[in-house]
Amino acid sequence: MADFYTLGLTYWRVIALTVLVLGVWIYGLYFMFKKWGMGSTGYQDELRHSFWLFIATWIHQAFKDGVWVFVKTLVLDILLLRRTLRRSPVRWVMHMTIFYGFITLAALSGFGLLLDTIIHFNILGYAHQAEVIFDMMALPFDIFGYMLLLGSTIGVGRRIILREVRARTSAYDAVLLGGVFLITITGFYAQWMRGNSFLVGDAFAYPIYAPHFALVHTILALALFAIILPWSKYQHLIAAPMTILANRGGE
Amino acid sequence: MADAGKEKKPLVSGYLMSTQFMELDGCTRCQECMKWCPTFDVRQDRPGITPMYKIAKFRELLGSQDGLRAKLFGSKPLNEDEINIWKDDTYMCTTCGVCGTVCESGINTVELWEAMRPNLVARGNGPYGKQSFFPGLLGKDRNPFQAKQSERLCWVPEDATVLESEKIAYFAGCTAAYRQQALGVATVRLMNSLDIPFCMLGEDEWCCASALIRTGQRPVMRDHAVHNVDALKERGVETVLFACAGCLRAATIDWPRWYEGYIPYKTMPLSAYLREKVRSGDVDWKRPLDFKVTYHDPCHNGRHLMHVKGRDWSFEAPRDILKSIPGVQFQDMTRSREFQRCCGAGGGVKAGIPDLALDCAKARLDDADLIAADIIASTCPFCRRNIMDGRAALTEKSDVKIVDVVEMMAAAMGLDTTIPDNPYMQYQEQDVIVCEEVCEIETIERKAEGKDLVGEAH
Repeated sequence: MADFYTLGLTYWRVIALTVLVLGVWIYGLYFMFKKWGMGSTGYQDELRHSFWLFIATWIHQAFKDGVWVFVKTLVLDILLLRRTLRRSPVRWVMHMTIFYGFITLAALSGFGLLLDTIIHFNILGYAHQAEVIFDMMALPFDIFGYMLLLGSTIGVGRRIILREVRARTSAYDAVLLGGVFLITITGFYAQWMRGNSFLVGDAFAYPIYAPHFALVHTILALALFAIILPWSKYQHLIAAPMTILANRGGE
Repeated sequence: MADAGKEKKPLVSGYLMSTQFMELDGCTRCQECMKWCPTFDVRQDRPGITPMYKIAKFRELLGSQDGLRAKLFGSKPLNEDEINIWKDDTYMCTTCGVCGTVCESGINTVELWEAMRPNLVARGNGPYGKQSFFPGLLGKDRNPFQAKQSERLCWVPEDATVLESEKIAYFAGCTAAYRQQALGVATVRLMNSLDIPFCMLGEDEWCCASALIRTGQRPVMRDHAVHNVDALKERGVETVLFACAGCLRAATIDWPRWYEGYIPYKTMPLSAYLREKVRSGDVDWKRPLDFKVTYHDPCHNGRHLMHVKGRDWSFEAPRDILKSIPGVQFQDMTRSREFQRCCGAGGGVKAGIPDLALDCAKARLDDADLIAADIIASTCPFCRRNIMDGRAALTEKSDVKIVDVVEMMAAAMGLDTTIPDNPYMQYQEQDVIVCEEVCEIETIERKAEGKDLVGEAH
């Protein structure tokens, strides 16, 4: 665990960096919602320029047909991506694997940071147990990592192989997919360098540089997912599900 | 120096709801909309007209004025050429809504396009071409044909019974009143033969004003919506029947947005009402119609209303009627129901960009040719008119006829649908079913040149 803190970083510096990134991320979300709040709350209504009235308008629209429709839309169209499945099973696999791979890895990373905090302060004397649990997380990290790798490979492959899709790909798309792919690949390589990876074992083991590379991966992940989210195509992670919910599943 | 001192016009986005700003960021750029867009299908060299690109452009323009960089360093000056190209792209859309149906993010695209356009009008960029005549025509004549309101019912046969007030009303619409009177006559005859008492608004029926909403010219809309709703209320109407998909859409979705009081009546497609009569055995078929028939779903009655009126009324009712007519061999085109291909006329395209409308119509005729249909039946006079125009513009002659479901029903019931002589006979242009020993379809082409400033309007 302690290997992670390299290149002059300490636990406190990582925590400070995380808080800073979270702060930027939260401000980004606020900025994004405020931008959406430029609009009106109804047809022909006056402009509001209000963060809170955007939230109120969204809630009003999302629950217009009742809670049951909201829940049904949440499960079928957000969690199971029904609309995507209807149009393209390949894109559905891509989205599902990226979505669940990313969400789970993010959750595991957050949980890992919590365990690290317990280990660091030996909270309630559970440092040892936390270390054991932390070691057990290698397998789920691998599984969901491969899931993310599959999805991002489909995403990148689709943009490269399909002529028409490739022709219409812009920097806006490339930043998103390239970012996901880069984070996934660096994550895997960081794991392989540690030498105890699922599937490849120690074929790529390079323990001296493993902590450095893990740090590079972490900073990339924080930068790409947190900092640029509200100002790039990453914003569809929030805007698309909220749109589907606001339109009660869409047309 | 020519521009020195000239105030630059700001980007206008005031007609968008806050959730529509969100929708702009919700586009995943999956490109699915590009596979289905009917205008892009016939304008492959203009990807900018597709939903994905229109959204991207608007997002880029908004970002240049209100994005993070604009907040930190000031907004970028707008490039008028770019705005004009984006305006063209935004108006080269029939607002058919198929993009919304296939959108992975569930973006309500029709509402989004119709919210974008008033901003362009407010900024002075829109509308497009002859669409700008609509407010003047409707404001002055209350219809887009420069016809007299007092002659709204000039086509009603003398022996037909149309009441002044009744619980059921038939809202004919401008096209049936002045340009496709065969539809109006067939409807009145059919209602009379089925002993359905009904009223019409006559002089009090103003254009549904759909064209104003579709093209982003909202101001005159309120007058028309309020007038029509009040006229129906004054007659004590409980159910309003529509044989025009565009009027039905406007009355169901648009009028209530402009009318502040209670609306006591329900709107209903005539096909759904008549299907119940077929099902209850009230309809007595007299003649077979030995044709291979397909059905073109009007966007306004289909995709625009399927979540309001239900899929059954939107898609199945007219099909059920057609299938029940003796002799009819029914077959759907490859693209049907919510995935139907737009005829190309809607969204002001017929008036503003007629060559685009014709090319879309030709593509729809190709769909019908693929299944060797004799007749394309529909429930929208505007689709009918545009597909007929597309047929006339074909270099290779097509034998496909375009007829309304109501007229087919009237013909199979043996009703006399002769149009009484009236001042608008010379402007009629439609395929009509003529039955003697057997039923045949004739094309009436008596349209006077140069009469219609903007064509029909939805």
